[in-house]
Amino acid sequence: MTTENDKHIERGHEFSDHREHAMEEHNYDGIQELDNPPPQWIMFIFYLTIGISILYGAYYFWIGIGADQHQEYDKAIEAARMKQDSSQPAAPLDLLSDEASLSEGKTIYAEMNCAACHGIEGEGNAIGPNLIDEFWIHGCSFTDVFNIIKNGEPLKGMTPFKGQLSDEKIQKVASYVLVTMKGYSPSSTKEAQGEKCP
Amino acid sequence: MENQKFYYDYKIVKQFLMATVVWGIIAIIVGLLIALQLAFPVFNLDLEFTSFGRLRPLHTNAVIFAFIGNAIFAGVYYSLQRLLKTRMYSDKLSAINFWGWQLVIILAAITLVLGITTSKEYAELEWPIDILIAGIWIVYGWNMIATILIRRVQHIYAAIWWYLATFLGIAMLHVVNSFALPVSLFKSYSVYAGAQDAVVQWWYGHNAVAFFLTTPFLGLMYYYLPKAVNRPIYSYKLSIIHFWSLIFLYMWAGPHHLLYQALPEWAQALGTTFSIMLIAPSWGGMINGFLTLRGAWDKVRDSAALKFFVVALTAYGMATFEGPMMSLKNVNEITHFTDWTIGHVHIAGMGWNAGLVFGMLYWLVPLIFNTKIYSTKLANAHFWIATLGILVYAIPLYWAAVTQWLMWRDYTPEGYLTYPNFLETLSQIIPMYVARIFGGTLFVIGFIIMLFNFYKTIKSGQSEDNVAAEAPMLVPIGPRNPDRETVHRWIERKGVIFSIIAFFVLAVGGAVEIIPMVFVKSNIPTIDTVTPYTPLELEGRDIYVSEGCYVCHSQVVRPFRYETDRYGEYSKIGEFVYDHPYQWGSRRIGPDLARAGVVTGPMFKSAAWHYSHFMDPQKMNVQSTMPKYPWFATKEVNLEGTPAKIRAMQKLGVPYPEGYDQQAVEDLKSQGSEIAANLNSSGIEVSPTSQMVAMIAYLHKLGRDISQPLAEEAVPMELAPVTLPVGQADFDAAKENYLKICAACHGPEGNGIPPAFPSLVDEEWLHGNKPEEIVRSISEGYPLKGMVGYKNQLSGSQINQLASYILNVLNQ
Repeated sequence: MTTENDKHIERGHEFSDHREHAMEEHNYDGIQELDNPPPQWIMFIFYLTIGISILYGAYYFWIGIGADQHQEYDKAIEAARMKQDSSQPAAPLDLLSDEASLSEGKTIYAEMNCAACHGIEGEGNAIGPNLIDEFWIHGCSFTDVFNIIKNGEPLKGMTPFKGQLSDEKIQKVASYVLVTMKGYSPSSTKEAQGEKCP
Repeated sequence: MENQKFYYDYKIVKQFLMATVVWGIIAIIVGLLIALQLAFPVFNLDLEFTSFGRLRPLHTNAVIFAFIGNAIFAGVYYSLQRLLKTRMYSDKLSAINFWGWQLVIILAAITLVLGITTSKEYAELEWPIDILIAGIWIVYGWNMIATILIRRVQHIYAAIWWYLATFLGIAMLHVVNSFALPVSLFKSYSVYAGAQDAVVQWWYGHNAVAFFLTTPFLGLMYYYLPKAVNRPIYSYKLSIIHFWSLIFLYMWAGPHHLLYQALPEWAQALGTTFSIMLIAPSWGGMINGFLTLRGAWDKVRDSAALKFFVVALTAYGMATFEGPMMSLKNVNEITHFTDWTIGHVHIAGMGWNAGLVFGMLYWLVPLIFNTKIYSTKLANAHFWIATLGILVYAIPLYWAAVTQWLMWRDYTPEGYLTYPNFLETLSQIIPMYVARIFGGTLFVIGFIIMLFNFYKTIKSGQSEDNVAAEAPMLVPIGPRNPDRETVHRWIERKGVIFSIIAFFVLAVGGAVEIIPMVFVKSNIPTIDTVTPYTPLELEGRDIYVSEGCYVCHSQVVRPFRYETDRYGEYSKIGEFVYDHPYQWGSRRIGPDLARAGVVTGPMFKSAAWHYSHFMDPQKMNVQSTMPKYPWFATKEVNLEGTPAKIRAMQKLGVPYPEGYDQQAVEDLKSQGSEIAANLNSSGIEVSPTSQMVAMIAYLHKLGRDISQPLAEEAVPMELAPVTLPVGQADFDAAKENYLKICAACHGPEGNGIPPAFPSLVDEEWLHGNKPEEIVRSISEGYPLKGMVGYKNQLSGSQINQLASYILNVLNQ
């Protein structure tokens, strides 16, 4: 059986600063402690953070000039509304057939994951109807398609996209559905649903 | 004085060391697996037991309680005996501590994989295991305090103050947070609901970080660093100041996990301010550590242990500065719900905790086995690989966090979200997730190198279970002599008094925050239209909890424009009063689900959509990283358990009618049939009592209640006549409120924004223009139609002034 000696205890320490002293009776399994004060800068940070905290409380509660999270929200909404008012475009919305708009419509179709319910080529699936035959549940005119994308029919599964897509984007994706998709011929298509388009 | 002979117990230390490295490698390999799952969902293996929602809690629990927990015990059992110059009080208690803790870990691993969980982060284990943990923890504390009482040294060294604070803090946190009402052996409901549960959970969650990952490690640092470098502790005074200030302040900081969420502002402010005040006390440990290394930096060059200590202290200093910064509301807006937090905790976990453990092991293992480390080259290799691993892990996640947040909040010039599809913001950061896998892999490789090095070291050495030592018997000094002894020096030789004082210092923060949340009604304003979950929704909720959905999906919308546009109305405190436990989550790897049930909202999806999505999310969108849940379609809800769940909820104060437990299963089946019929119309066959139907029912309930019509709206209320004030001062005051609150929708002149927001200046009134009708419209609102009720924001007289202003000024 070995007895382990603590070599450190007797050896003592060479201190880089001669004003430092190891404290008497502060020796724990060979670990000594010095009587240095805490560095001033850390104590300064400590008092500073306490001061900041008191000011923080005063700002939001005792004086109460800071906006709470609901007031902050109301302000942000108001600011956004002001900005939006001045940037309302007034162009009439109608079916587009130019290549650039249609390909942008295709991108939006992909980005918004329309394919999850209507299939990549508009063939439809268990969730949503196909978009390529002549039968339409909510009408087949440009306005009908525009409106169903914009306002949705959530109880039947169609999400309203008005908060997510601008009218211009809805116009493009509706045009894509009505113009480009007509040319697709997917291998399997969901059965016809809705009224036949006049 | 004659020396007494005694033996140190090294066997228990070796046992805990072995457990540390074994659980350590398992814990980080599970971490690597879940990192792979986030980038490549195929690694979910399409098994319920290996889906991310179940394995992520396994990783966090294994790292914290198995790897780091065993390391704490190893470090404490060795240093405590030597610092007190005595053997542990009881070998039996030591053994119970060891084997009991390993049993807890094994039970945790089994139950979490099986989906048995409370869903409270880092406290997921169910009630029987919670009780076991409490018992083992008390055994540990008992053994430690009894050892302190039979010591052979006068004073208790600083390291042991930290050990004591750890024991007391964790005991308090674990017991209070785990209060739950058991429903069966494997299921319980938290006694706290909604915002209260959130406050208790994050008081616990934040302080588990403090009292399991910080205070014990500061204790270990105070022993192993000066031992390894053979230098005295720089400042005894700093030890005292930062010990007491840290253990007092930490306990208050929990609500910083809930900023901008459905929590009273005062609680959030306490979370922020106390986090800021924690900077200096936290840094006290780092400074004392670094200054202890003064004049010995040449030794750092040659020693892997010291190098790990330096990295640990650096990571600690970084993380404890970053944490308070993340507690500032405007920074938290970015870091919360993104990967910033994940980066932050891994800097702390891999740098500070694992780094300190590695340092301790490289110093302790050769010492205990009376030999030299097998290869210092390999040890140094481990150091560099691990350090590089930390950086390669964390930097991509910080990058991912900022990227994703910028995408969440980005608007087009027309005022629409640029990336309205949440998945786009996730797909963008997948490359960063791949980079993070490389970081994690490096860390694992380093760990394996260490295991090999220790295997060789241990093989070449020899160790004893009992190591002889001698020391003089302790002769108590007696009462304090004010000239010779400071008060602190005096309590350093009074272990029990020291513990009692520490206990009260620890208890203040939690008490001040939790007691008002539970007992002061005004902190939880109720909402009349919020109803309890139906039995089917409740069963669905339990599946949501069990699958760990909260790991990726939050259920709390913060009051930011970009969140309300994306998800719907921001969350209100009163919406969660029946949520035992709350499900707000802390990270959005998927979109928030708080408004998944609001039919007109952006998050609503049809039953058929949910069915297809659960069956195969990647079929819905190839970029989705969500695991598949095909077993929802085939597994049935256990209807035998439903009545007991209803009774438990009633005991917790959920207002189901008397005897509803007998009615519950019937109601469940009828609601299930409706959903099954709906699915059937899309050609989907599924049992009305399947888990799938329950999950859909639950998701369709979420966030719906506040947009339900108020009862008064269906039946017009008999309104008492109101006389409105008509003084100029009243008009002025009203105008100010009008511009602040009403003008946003009704226009500064009251012209409204047709067609959504009605004009207040014409002769058409949707809800009547009698004074009492106007007052009622303002105070109660018509939430379904978009009119908010202001009775909680404006006083009665302010509302009367406003009504008068609208009728007598605007409408004239």
